[in-house]
Amino acid sequence: MQQTPRRFDAVELELLWRRLISLVDEAAAALVRTSFSTLVRESYDFSCVVTDAQGQSLVQATESIPSFIGTLPETVKHFLRFFPVETLQPGDVLITNDLWLGTGHLPDITVAKPIFRNGRVVAFSASTAHAPDIGGKIRSPEPREVFEEGLQIPPMKLMRGGQADDTLVAIIRKNVRTPEQTMGDLWAQVVALDLMEERLIVLMDQAGLEDLSDLAREVQARCENAMRAAIAALPDGTYRSELQTDGLMDKPVTIRMALTITGDRIHVDYSGTDPQVDRAINCALCYTYAMTMYGVKVCTTPALPNNEGAWRPISVAAPEGCIVNPVFPASGGSRMLIGHYLPMLVFGCLGQVVPERVMAATGSPMWGMNQSGVNAAGKPYANMFFFNGGMGGNVRGDGISCLSWPSNVSSTAIEISEHIAPIRVHHKRLRPDSGGAGKHRGGLGQEILIESRSETPIAVSFLAERTIFPAFGVEGGRDGAPGVLRINGEKVDPKRQYVLQRGETVLLATPGGGGHGDPAARDPRAIEADLASGHVTDPVPYRE
Amino acid sequence: MSADRHALAIDIGGTFTDIVLYDSRTGRFAAHKELTTPADPAWGVITGIRRLLSRESVEAAAVGRVVHATTLFTNALIERRGARTGLITTEGFRDTLEIGHERKYELYDLHLPLPQPLVRRARRLEARERLAPDGSVEVALEPDSVLQAADALVSQGVESAAICFLHAYANPSHEQEAASLIAARHPQLMLSLSSEVAPQIREFERSSTTVANAYIKPLAERYLNRLSEDLTALRIKSPLFMMLSNGGLTHVDEAKRVPVQLLESGPAAGALSAAFFGARSGERDLLAFDLGGTTAKLALVQDGEPHVVHRFEAGRERRFTTGSGLPLTISTVELIEIGAGGGSIAAHDALGLLKVGPRSAGSMPGPACYGRGGAHPTVTDANLLLGYLDPETFAGGTMRLDTGAAEATVGALAGEAGLSAARAAEGIHAVVNETMSAAARVHVAEQGHDARDFALLVTGGGGPLHGCELARRLGISRVICPPGAGVASALGLLLAPARVDRVATISRPLAGMDWAALEASFSAMEQDARTVIAATLGATAALSIRRGADLRFAGQGYEVVTDLPAGPYGPDSEDMIRAAFERAYELVFSRRPGVATIEMINIRVSVTGSAAEGALDPEVPETSLGEPRTGARNARFGSEEMDTPVLDRSRLPAGVEVPGPAVIEEAMSTLLVPPGARAVVEASGNIVIHLPLAVTRQGQHQHEVV
Repeated sequence: MQQTPRRFDAVELELLWRRLISLVDEAAAALVRTSFSTLVRESYDFSCVVTDAQGQSLVQATESIPSFIGTLPETVKHFLRFFPVETLQPGDVLITNDLWLGTGHLPDITVAKPIFRNGRVVAFSASTAHAPDIGGKIRSPEPREVFEEGLQIPPMKLMRGGQADDTLVAIIRKNVRTPEQTMGDLWAQVVALDLMEERLIVLMDQAGLEDLSDLAREVQARCENAMRAAIAALPDGTYRSELQTDGLMDKPVTIRMALTITGDRIHVDYSGTDPQVDRAINCALCYTYAMTMYGVKVCTTPALPNNEGAWRPISVAAPEGCIVNPVFPASGGSRMLIGHYLPMLVFGCLGQVVPERVMAATGSPMWGMNQSGVNAAGKPYANMFFFNGGMGGNVRGDGISCLSWPSNVSSTAIEISEHIAPIRVHHKRLRPDSGGAGKHRGGLGQEILIESRSETPIAVSFLAERTIFPAFGVEGGRDGAPGVLRINGEKVDPKRQYVLQRGETVLLATPGGGGHGDPAARDPRAIEADLASGHVTDPVPYRE
Repeated sequence: MSADRHALAIDIGGTFTDIVLYDSRTGRFAAHKELTTPADPAWGVITGIRRLLSRESVEAAAVGRVVHATTLFTNALIERRGARTGLITTEGFRDTLEIGHERKYELYDLHLPLPQPLVRRARRLEARERLAPDGSVEVALEPDSVLQAADALVSQGVESAAICFLHAYANPSHEQEAASLIAARHPQLMLSLSSEVAPQIREFERSSTTVANAYIKPLAERYLNRLSEDLTALRIKSPLFMMLSNGGLTHVDEAKRVPVQLLESGPAAGALSAAFFGARSGERDLLAFDLGGTTAKLALVQDGEPHVVHRFEAGRERRFTTGSGLPLTISTVELIEIGAGGGSIAAHDALGLLKVGPRSAGSMPGPACYGRGGAHPTVTDANLLLGYLDPETFAGGTMRLDTGAAEATVGALAGEAGLSAARAAEGIHAVVNETMSAAARVHVAEQGHDARDFALLVTGGGGPLHGCELARRLGISRVICPPGAGVASALGLLLAPARVDRVATISRPLAGMDWAALEASFSAMEQDARTVIAATLGATAALSIRRGADLRFAGQGYEVVTDLPAGPYGPDSEDMIRAAFERAYELVFSRRPGVATIEMINIRVSVTGSAAEGALDPEVPETSLGEPRTGARNARFGSEEMDTPVLDRSRLPAGVEVPGPAVIEEAMSTLLVPPGARAVVEASGNIVIHLPLAVTRQGQHQHEVV
């Protein structure tokens, strides 16, 4: 049944595209409202997409964080390998949280639903969301294999023809600490899939579309062309950057990137990067891809909608078994401790050709403290609190202090933290002088002092990086201050777990961002203002 | 009551101050527009009142009521024109205001401007004290530390200070103690206490709200004193009432104490007015849609009342981007703003798509057809070319539209985009409508509703023009166009009851509640609210008291604001409260998780009191005689050009039905009735348009919660 492809003019395409974006955003809004997961609600740690029948993305929810760029449609394509299209029926919902097929760590559960029209699959609605709990060891870099990190759900059918698989549901409930919340969120995701399906069918009715292939081709081509044009404007060549991370403390990890621009394509190669480790900081290729893509997008087409076309011109390769492409059974629960560095590496490469579009290094990866114990009433609890470092300075201005980047995780109010955990926070304040000096100074990190008030021991573990290697400055800017983690005043290894007794304290000092440009070139009024406010107390770096 | 049967409503906007005089005996109202005088706003108000009273031959003494809304304080926040402000907070937390949420409002922009705190770091000082989460004292307030901080602020020229201590929502004593220490030494320093202004858990939001209050407090004090004196000088003896952001009224002293509650008073009046006119057509669930030159506003009215929320963002860095402003926990009529209006500029973007807005030609130079040098095609230009507007009678005939200029700019865009000129014009109209409906759909979903369950009420210069098409895109079948939309907002002021909202954080599980303590908390808040109402309306006012609470299932981070049954509460109230919450929860989410533990985070009371006069009953403007049909023109609907009759609204008597397509004109707006629709003129003065329903609702999918 060969038909001439339908053409869309500038008006019709705008109308249809906007409708598509609004339907995924509507589903996202519904998911946020109904979710139990703090990460979904407050940090938009989820995504909703509509793909075509082949799993190629048309639209992605506007607010979802960069971790999911491109991962969700890939998962849909994996589903299609396990469940060829002819084995699907209306009302089926597919599910997985596989570390390699999903997003690189188990708490992210992906579900997808085939959308039928006239008996044929025309699209998928799909969603990934960070579950409140997935079982396994409490989140920390310690797990040595994925088996320690919780329940693994291979690609399966959560629902068949509208009927939930009771066996699978029972297994999930038995394996997580919060069965009501985890299942509640899963059903909320399914409701979001239904909502996308319903709105998409109405849209197709109104637009007279029998399938999505012509529309998909068009929106993908527009994004692809825009991305190719942006890349083509950059000079061809291979640009290299590398950096070291704290890694396992006694053993830093080196990540190497070669970014090659050939005409309108970019190829990113991580050859030479250190091998995977037996800690949960391994960064599966899907997450590596998303974080790399984020860096490229920020430098090239920041306003472009996310769809399959936008990432077609970009390929990412990493040797099997290296830390940015680990193989089974690697653990990856704290993958951001490697992954959040990757956009910085892209900046290191592209900064060589478009220095005005990048910034100095940031105080990321994000910091966090996980605590678990048994409360006074004998009930087990666990909480994760996040803290962020400073952004790097850039060509236009100073870095912002204490900002989540590249992720977008908000911090928890101290008043809430003290309500839900037996702790007292003695201060949470900016770290003066932590921003790297520069014409445009790095943003400041912060310092938090926490005391246990629990009668029973509290187990604590951390997300903490850049305690050895600071956020570097660029164009003559200085490095930011490295992070510090102390327990009872003593520096400790942030990758290990500790037990706090009542009255014992933890001090977290997040890293400052790197400076941009020669400090001697800084506007004297800005130096004066910094000294007056106390953001800077030591003017020496500006006088040399 | 005949001696003081008149009421005055005053709404100060950016350009105009609207003044409405309402005669409660005849239902007649008269309106006057005076240019706003930003340097001395009271001057414009008084001039306008004098003119209107003299024009209507009404004695000042016959005015029994004055109600006032203003954007002055909001603008002071946006333009950073507030007082030199300081903050005294708990030791270790002076940077709370600057650290904020640590989140970005845009993911891909490295040059994101974040809103700067209203108080710079050098004026954020610390006092030694500490409360535990339950309000118990861990470190007693050290008076010297408070006084040192206050001295330092005063020596920096600070005029107004906020005091915000950690956990002060649970125990105000340290803040009160600090305030009395400071007042004794620096009586001229104005103080705002977080335990009074915003007694809710979450220190960043509470600080931000208290500081915003301190920032505008001197301004509010000066302005309201001045206006009260001037009204007295005019011999208006009635007290001045101020409109609150939540749609209620309060007296001047309360307004001076907590001016941050007044930020959205203008829009609140508009929403009340929309609810009122909707109810006259029997519609109690409404989307109130107002379209002006640069901005579209959308408010939700449910069960006859504007939807009130308890958060607001002031002074956004990017006007239409959530998260780019200062968070304030005030109760306010919920409203979204969309960057779309008559002046929105259409362009062909890098992806080859036709985009409209948020860039706007504003009123200067304005759309190309205004003939003032506008070089870009706008929504108004497209509407003119589509035949929806009459170039001769636009804006009450105050301006002649230049069709040639519209053709030139739209034509140029059409050429760029590879479209015919007609298709480009039709496209601009369609795209701006889709932009607004996309924002509306997501907003309504965020509230847990479906737009199809509402009627659309249209106001503003552009609301009636775009309303039916917006409704069609949202799957809405009824559009209501009230009469004389120009003074609608000011009229809303006269509809408002006196209202006081109070909130307190308790944050404890429902099970095992100390019911006596809970009842005592509710009673104390009610008593406080009654005192304010009594000061507003007198002790005899009829009161209605509503209790509510922000409840959630244990583990959730968002609370559902739930209306609760009346008190007093005791141990047997638990089931009632649980049931009320579960009902409210299901209404929003259509499902309920299998979590048994319910937590009560905040408790709320809302006390309203009605004024002595009866309900507002504005007269329906009399229709004049004569043929309503004044002509016809070719108008384009979709791809079809149709001969479309033009009717004069003032000549359409009640009961008349107008089939679409039709254009119904009145002084300040044009109502477009599309083909297939049917407009009915009601005795209430509203025109209700019935649209054929194109959208069929799909079967609702339900998932059982396992």
